[in-house]
Amino acid sequence: MSQKEAQNMQLIQELEIEMMADMYNRLTAACHKKCIPPVYNDAEIAKGEAVCIDRCVAKFLDIHERIGKKLGQLSMQDEALLKK
Amino acid sequence: MSVTQNMSDNKQEKRHFTPEEWSYLTKYFVGNNYRYRENIIIPKNLGPVQIKTNEEKMVESFFESCFFKSVMSCVVGYGLGAAIGLFSSSMGPASVTDTETQTARQVFREMKTTTLGYAKNFALIGALFSGVECAIESARGKSDWKNGTYAGAVTGGLIGLRAGVKAGIVGAMGFAAFSTAIDYYMRSRF
Repeated sequence: MSQKEAQNMQLIQELEIEMMADMYNRLTAACHKKCIPPVYNDAEIAKGEAVCIDRCVAKFLDIHERIGKKLGQLSMQDEALLKK
Repeated sequence: MSVTQNMSDNKQEKRHFTPEEWSYLTKYFVGNNYRYRENIIIPKNLGPVQIKTNEEKMVESFFESCFFKSVMSCVVGYGLGAAIGLFSSSMGPASVTDTETQTARQVFREMKTTTLGYAKNFALIGALFSGVECAIESARGKSDWKNGTYAGAVTGGLIGLRAGVKAGIVGAMGFAAFSTAIDYYMRSRF
């Protein structure tokens, strides 16, 4: 039993790492595309860009949470329907 | 990907999750972003990873805030205005006096009042422009040339409003054009 649990735990950890890495990549790509103009001549992040990045990350994480919960609800409803 | 490899390696010992466990896992992964995590892994392939402490973040946020920027502009404007006032007061006497010669003390007093007057004006302009530009940039969320133009318009308008509405509009347009020209010059230089 404990071996099966250990495998489950390993699967959970791998899934979490993969999910976090994927979310980090998407987040950086989306907010970079949205907030930082393609042509710039200053390496420092200006105040407007910093504010934009803060808002972008907050919105991204919020949407991620809401849609994930909604998707979980929908998949549970699908499971309940399938059982019938 | 390691997950599918593991799945194909251990065909005999498949990991079973019930649907309830899957839905619990979904909520665990997606739901709470504020739970305590022991190991935070940040990818190092784009450069060295430095996680800033809270105190450092507070100090940085203070030195980048709109208030500090406008205070710095005020101080620098005061100094610049004092220099310009000193120079322009040496051009000639500001007040017309009938007596032909003035004592040195009177000349120095006039110099001081002119200098201080210029300094206060420049300090006010600097603080106002810097504060308004920082506020507009924070509200818009973009850093481009339009921030300087809008801030110049507001500053020129407010200063010109002392002398009437028309003077306010002319001052706004003039200051906005001046600010845009200075920004363009600075960007094209560097």
